[in-house]
Amino acid sequence: MKGMASLLVAVAMAALLAAYTLPVSGQGGEGASPIYGLTIPAGYRDWKLISVGRVGGSNNDLRAKLGNDIAIKAYREGKLPFPDGTIIARLAWREATSEENNLALGNVDSFVTGAATNLEFMVKDSKKYAATGGWGFAQFTDGKPDSEALHKACFPCHGPAKDQDFVFTRYAP
Amino acid sequence: MKRIAFLLVAVAVAAGVLAFTAPASGRAGEQASPIYGVTIPPGYRDWKLIAVSEIAAGDKSQLRAEFGNDIAIKAFQQGTLPFPNGAIIVAQHWIKESSPENDKVLAMVPMVAGLDDPKSFIPGAFINMQVMVKDSKKYAASGGWGFGDFKDGKPGDEALTKTCFPCHQPAKDHDYVYTHYAP
Repeated sequence: MKGMASLLVAVAMAALLAAYTLPVSGQGGEGASPIYGLTIPAGYRDWKLISVGRVGGSNNDLRAKLGNDIAIKAYREGKLPFPDGTIIARLAWREATSEENNLALGNVDSFVTGAATNLEFMVKDSKKYAATGGWGFAQFTDGKPDSEALHKACFPCHGPAKDQDFVFTRYAP
Repeated sequence: MKRIAFLLVAVAVAAGVLAFTAPASGRAGEQASPIYGVTIPPGYRDWKLIAVSEIAAGDKSQLRAEFGNDIAIKAFQQGTLPFPNGAIIVAQHWIKESSPENDKVLAMVPMVAGLDDPKSFIPGAFINMQVMVKDSKKYAASGGWGFGDFKDGKPGDEALTKTCFPCHQPAKDHDYVYTHYAP
C-alpha cells in the first residue's frame, strides 16, 4: 500500500512537472503535413529571430521567421546548404491598427500583430527530402495541416531561392 | 620563461574563449543613456520575440521587432503587470524595404496569386534600437522604467531621452509598455 501511495505521489508530481514545463506560448496542433509528414515542432515560439516581414494587399500580414539553434548558427556563419536538422518557422499575424500607438506617434500610422493566420515550417533532412532540395515543408492553419494541393506548391515556389538553398529569408542585422 | 610561456598560453586561451562567446549578432555599445544610465544589453538579439510591428511613414517606414529577456517574456506570457524588476524590453527598428524578389514569388503562389497587390516587405538598413529596463526603486520617478535610445551603438542625447517617459504615458494601463505579446 505504501509503495502504491508513493507511486501515486510520483505520478502526480510528474504530471505537475509536465504541466509546468509545457510551452505556454505558440500554437499546438495535431496531424502531420501531407507529402512531407511534418508536425508543429514543440517550443518553436521561443526560438531566436531570423527576420521580420510584411505582405501587403489583401494578405495584409506581419511576419516573423524564427530558427532553431542549428538554423541560427548556419545563418550567422553563412553556411550553405543548411545542415540537416535545420528548422525555420514562419509565423504570420493579420496586421492590426494600433490606436494606442498612434496616440504616442502622432502623424504616422502604427501597425501591430493581430490574430495569428497560418504557420509554416521548413525542415532540412537531405536524405528524407532528397527529391525537394533536402527540405520538407508544412503549413498549418488553426493547428491543422493544410491540403495536399497547397503542399505541392511549396517546393516549386521556393525554386527561385535555389542559390540560398531554397530559403528566401536573410538574417536581419 | 616557462611561466611566461604558460601565461601566454593562458591569455591566448582566454582570448579564444572570449572570441567564441562574443555575441555573433546584435548591436553592442558601452555608452549609457543620459538621465537613466541604460546600456545596450549584451546578447539581446538572441532574446525571444515578443512581437513585430510596422510604422507607415512614406520612405521613412519601418519594420520593427520587440525582444524580451527571460523575465520580460515570462511576465508577458503570464500576463503579469506591473512587469517585475529586471525585465528588459528591446525594440529594434529597420527601414521597411520592398522585396521585388519575394514579389515575383508571391505572384506564383496559388493562394496569393488571386489576391490584390501582395507586396512583400523586408528589413533594410538598421535605424535604431530602444531599451526599457525595469527597476522600480532606481526609476521610481518614471514609472519604474529606465530608457535608452541607441543609434550605431551610441545613446541619443538628453533632449531625446527626456521624451521617452512622457511618450509612454498612454500605455500606463500596461505598465507603460505598448507592445503586446504576439500569439
